Amino acid sequence: MSDSRIVVGIAAVYLVACLVIGMLPGRRASDSAEGYVAGDRTLGPLVMFFITGATIFSAFAFLGMPGKAYSQGAWAFMVLAYGAFGFIPFYFLGPRAARLGREYGFVTQGQMVAHRFHSLPIPGVMALISAGAFVPYLAIQIKGAGYVLNSMTQGAVSEQVGGAIVYGVVLVYVLKSGVLGVGWTNTFQGIFMMVLAWAMGLYLPYALYGGVGEMFRRIAEERPELLRAPGLGPDGAQGSWGEYTSAVIVTSIGFSAWPHLFMKAFTARSEATIRRTVVLYPIFSIFLVPILLIGFSGVLFEPAPAQADQVLPHMLMSIELSPWIVGLFCAGALAASMSSGDAIVHACSSILVRDGWITALGRKLDTHAERRLIRYLIVVLLGASYGLAFHYEGSLFDLLLYAYGPVVQFMPAVVAALYIRRATGPGVLAGLVVGVSVNILFAVCPDLRPFALHAGLYGFVANVAALALVSAVTRREIDGEERYLAVAAGDDVREPSS
Amino acid sequence: MIRREQEPAWPRVAFACYLGVCACALVWPGYALAGDRIEPFVLGLPFAFAWTIGWVLAAFLGLLVFHGLAGPKDRG
Repeated sequence: MSDSRIVVGIAAVYLVACLVIGMLPGRRASDSAEGYVAGDRTLGPLVMFFITGATIFSAFAFLGMPGKAYSQGAWAFMVLAYGAFGFIPFYFLGPRAARLGREYGFVTQGQMVAHRFHSLPIPGVMALISAGAFVPYLAIQIKGAGYVLNSMTQGAVSEQVGGAIVYGVVLVYVLKSGVLGVGWTNTFQGIFMMVLAWAMGLYLPYALYGGVGEMFRRIAEERPELLRAPGLGPDGAQGSWGEYTSAVIVTSIGFSAWPHLFMKAFTARSEATIRRTVVLYPIFSIFLVPILLIGFSGVLFEPAPAQADQVLPHMLMSIELSPWIVGLFCAGALAASMSSGDAIVHACSSILVRDGWITALGRKLDTHAERRLIRYLIVVLLGASYGLAFHYEGSLFDLLLYAYGPVVQFMPAVVAALYIRRATGPGVLAGLVVGVSVNILFAVCPDLRPFALHAGLYGFVANVAALALVSAVTRREIDGEERYLAVAAGDDVREPSS
Repeated sequence: MIRREQEPAWPRVAFACYLGVCACALVWPGYALAGDRIEPFVLGLPFAFAWTIGWVLAAFLGLLVFHGLAGPKDRG
């Protein structure tokens, strides 16, 4: 059997394995929208750990991070920082959300915020912002899958066809099994990726330089600027501390605000499951270290890749490696893409239906019609993301940072709903609208920023200010507010038996 | 009827302060002042890289300790 057939054969076997594992749970979940969206609230600690881990171990991690380390050096360390801190707010927010979900039947973040303030526009606005952040994030995954299949077939399969094949598989198992299918494939893929990341992260520096220490010594001699914090900017000049620090702050705050993470809180079997997941989550950050080593191993590698994001598949196909190893690693990169892509598309379509169609627009759907509509939207979203993926020409890393600008705007709304008695619906709505508007303005026109900071940070500050100001002038008692906050806090709200 | 149980605030305050220190070490000014060096190499890694990994591990250990100390209400 020729080398390329072995590589492609391994990837094909892997895709079939994902399909089988992803489709089996569909037989166990109830046939309701809640079974499809929230897995009947039955996810245990192992699946929760990997399903949340998949949000960081995406195509961005396997392709974007090595690309960033390769082209901008220490700038890529920011991912370790936000990976370690970003999930900590969820230790406090997640259990509150889970209690409210059980009490009131929520399956989305928007429903949770809307119920507190009796506001219909809030979930509609949140659904639109979610779509604006999710579609580019999904495009990263599809584009990454296209890169991998294109490289492993040495150009025989184009990036466009590669992306279509991989996401065809994702489409089948997400349509069939909903969130339970996503959970079990993420567990399988997560274990697979961790083993491969460490194996390749240690093997490549050894094979190319004689070891990790020797690799960094050579980079320190020839490209020392890559090893000094905060690394290089996108233009290759010394990076700015303001950009680096603000990017870490925005991603750390925004990480716990991703709507699909909240949906996972609603799928958890217990609050202890959520807490344990958060406590163990920094392990995923540590597993990113070998991925950075892969990127650094490309710095002095000749010939250079055409694009920084292709450094990993480019090196794999250029050095004399067993086709079995190349095949396994390409399957690992596909796993990274698929395990994030499936969770994202599932979450985004559920949010648009629940928060946009049902809650904000007030349309009535029975449970089967809702499940059907979510499935239609999955197809539409994958199509839209596929279109974006092959029109966008920037780096995967920068696209991710861009997506965090809108997402971080959810955090004030969530904290207000779960903790702040004086917050009001108009205040939260004003915060969201002002925050997203400021973020968009500075993201589109970066020259207007007073200082070189992440656009999302300006939006966040404006968001908090608008929320506080408008809440102060619109404050009134809201029906059921006391009980809602008590349920969130875990207080005993049962009526005493007479 | 809503029944509330109060728990001491000190684990939360101590944890917040500890996280603040870890966070400052990973961005400006802590990282710029103390971590921005190539040498000495630590386990083969340049100092700026090892510094980041060290503080990530420190935050992880802090979270483990807090999880062990915190009462059920502090946890959510």
